Amino acid sequence: MPPTVYDVILIGTGAGGGMAIKTLCDAGLRVCALNSGRHLDPEKDFRNHRATWEMKFRGFGDPATRLKDTPDFLDSEYNPGAWEHDVAFTTAPGTKWMWPRASAVGGKTNFWGRSSARFGDIDFKAATLDGYGIDWPVTYDEIAPYYTRVEKMIGVASTVQNRSSNPDGVYLPPFNFRCIDWILQRGCEHCGVPYLPDRIAQLTIEHAGHPACHYCGDCTFGCEVGAFFSTPWFFLPSSEASGNLDLKTNAIAKNILTDADGRAAGVAYIERASRQEYEVRGRAVVVAASCIESARILLNSKSRHWPDGIANSSGQLGRNLCDHLYATTASGYLPQLLGQPSFPDNVSANAIAWMPRWQNLKNAHDEAFIRGYSVYPDGGCSEFPSYYDRIEGFGSSFKRGIKRRYPTPVSFTVQAPTLPSAKNFVELDANGKDSFGIPLARIHFEWGDNELKMFQHAKQISAEVFRAAGAVLEYSADEPEMPGYSLHETGTCRMGNDPKQFVTNRFGQTHDVDNLYVCDASIFLNCTDKTTTLSILAFALRTSEYLVEQFRCGDH
Amino acid sequence: MAGQSIERREILRMLALAAGAASFPGFCRWSFACGHVGNGIAQIRPAAYHPLFFTAAEYATIERLADIIIPADDTPGATQAGVAEFIDLVVSREGMLQRAFRSGFDWLDARSQKLFGTKFLALTAEQQISLLESLAYQEKHRAGEEHGREFFNLAREYTVMGFYTSEIGLKELDYPGLKFYAKSPACPHKDNREHLHLPAPTS
Repeated sequence: MPPTVYDVILIGTGAGGGMAIKTLCDAGLRVCALNSGRHLDPEKDFRNHRATWEMKFRGFGDPATRLKDTPDFLDSEYNPGAWEHDVAFTTAPGTKWMWPRASAVGGKTNFWGRSSARFGDIDFKAATLDGYGIDWPVTYDEIAPYYTRVEKMIGVASTVQNRSSNPDGVYLPPFNFRCIDWILQRGCEHCGVPYLPDRIAQLTIEHAGHPACHYCGDCTFGCEVGAFFSTPWFFLPSSEASGNLDLKTNAIAKNILTDADGRAAGVAYIERASRQEYEVRGRAVVVAASCIESARILLNSKSRHWPDGIANSSGQLGRNLCDHLYATTASGYLPQLLGQPSFPDNVSANAIAWMPRWQNLKNAHDEAFIRGYSVYPDGGCSEFPSYYDRIEGFGSSFKRGIKRRYPTPVSFTVQAPTLPSAKNFVELDANGKDSFGIPLARIHFEWGDNELKMFQHAKQISAEVFRAAGAVLEYSADEPEMPGYSLHETGTCRMGNDPKQFVTNRFGQTHDVDNLYVCDASIFLNCTDKTTTLSILAFALRTSEYLVEQFRCGDH
Repeated sequence: MAGQSIERREILRMLALAAGAASFPGFCRWSFACGHVGNGIAQIRPAAYHPLFFTAAEYATIERLADIIIPADDTPGATQAGVAEFIDLVVSREGMLQRAFRSGFDWLDARSQKLFGTKFLALTAEQQISLLESLAYQEKHRAGEEHGREFFNLAREYTVMGFYTSEIGLKELDYPGLKFYAKSPACPHKDNREHLHLPAPTS
């Protein structure tokens, strides 16, 4: 029997891969999707409804085995086996990088923060506005219909806000403001800072066959009822039911296979348990493994045609890795609420409100930095009183102090985009392979002046907002979180019209290889003040429909 | 609305599935700390707990420290919540923690010996508290006790972790999560958005 040749081989099942799987399967194409980790059934595998005392290590995870350099809400006892432990990577001297990878089916969509603002022309045309870098090869008008369709698929709760930096979309009713929101909003008003309902992909009403949220909190551990978007809840079931999807789990993609002409012919992968290498063949290949991994796979696809990695004639593959600078800019408590009864504040775990970019809106050079950042507030009654270390002593007074403060904590986190830089990139480590025999990704990254200026600016204004809101400021970070912390990396396969400068064209199709596509945030020119998932979904929808069209025309 | 109640039933079914999957081998070892659903908090301590890492003396010391840090008063404290068992379990899994706790116990006994002529556990409650106060309160800090202050902070951190993740601890805080809310909970102080001069809580 001749080997199976699929229509499309797809690497990754997160936001980009999941959207591609859904779109291609709906169009009747036969898809083989590779996922590096295990199968995940959210109804059975998620444990966000478990009380802490129902888990051996109380939800913190086993100190002997949990990933180091990973935020404590990830790789916890709530989602065992979902995070990558075995694929190593290296960093260049001077680079710090954490790389939490959700390898289970659905990837990071299982655990994402759900903030879902659209990018706008202020982002796509930033280079024209401020003279740095290069514009995106698309306009907001082109992408807006895809945003609208994605919002209808996944359900996003927010309000119409009429702000130039944040185009409005199609929204479900917003989350209600909590006590802390009203107090902080008043403080923001005094300082000229917007404080608005976030765009949050969480269902405030039943939507598209998925139940409304029941506001239990702990969302970031994975939702047991599917009241927020993830590919295992929203996209994969119908694709699997279509009969068009062959999903291979624990399949770690190694390289793209090519034919005699250098076109993509399939993918070689390593089966996790046996460490055996296998090949799957297809008429087109979509890479959606997340920025660093996608770049690693393409760089590792060397052949006579592609000595520097497939689709790398520009030399830009792996270049311009961007990330969000995250840092606590202010943290403390609201004395107005001391001793008040507990209130369900962490109903969505986070992202009920945000302070969307307000800098450099009138003029691109109003501030000492270019572009802008957003700030996320957080606070109220949470599952764990992590503020305990700000209360001195021990005994009954300590215990009473913890109880009294329970409804009061507030903290601000800045989300500041890095500018693309030649210093920040991914390459293959010439000296090492991982335990699967695949060359290691080697990461070069450092913060630039622009984002560090934003951090300082955000600290100053956060302190002003705290003062105006009557909050007590106890802490602000001296250093940002370690790069990689935000899980919002972008770049490495950037899109653009010029094949000499960009890896893919404006549709995510590689310039060099017409049947090879990239469907994740690698194609983004830079990150913005907004989170990435909604835009990954919108661009992946566009790329997959373009790919379907190529099949219809007979090009693949 | 009928549709909503069906929705709610379906969600509750799914949550019941999840709760059913919650027990893990070794759960009964924690019965002292948590109790099973329906029978409240167990008051009877298991016959004997054999520490996984700590020596008997170390275990007694961490039990005592946890009880001083979060005592039983109007509400149960660290002892009732089984905090020492939690700390022993976590510490048994990590070498750095083991070294930190062990050298901390050594410091505590050496300091007790120097100040009072006997080990920490043999001190009177007043002496123990006096020793710890100099570690815990900035205005009472003494020179040369840096290591002791570090150890006290470590013991306090793990006591808080153990206590406020127990059923007793979350009840103490009145944790509002992991419940079913039909609507997005909203601030109840419509006429007082600034939240100035809220009424004092009744309890």
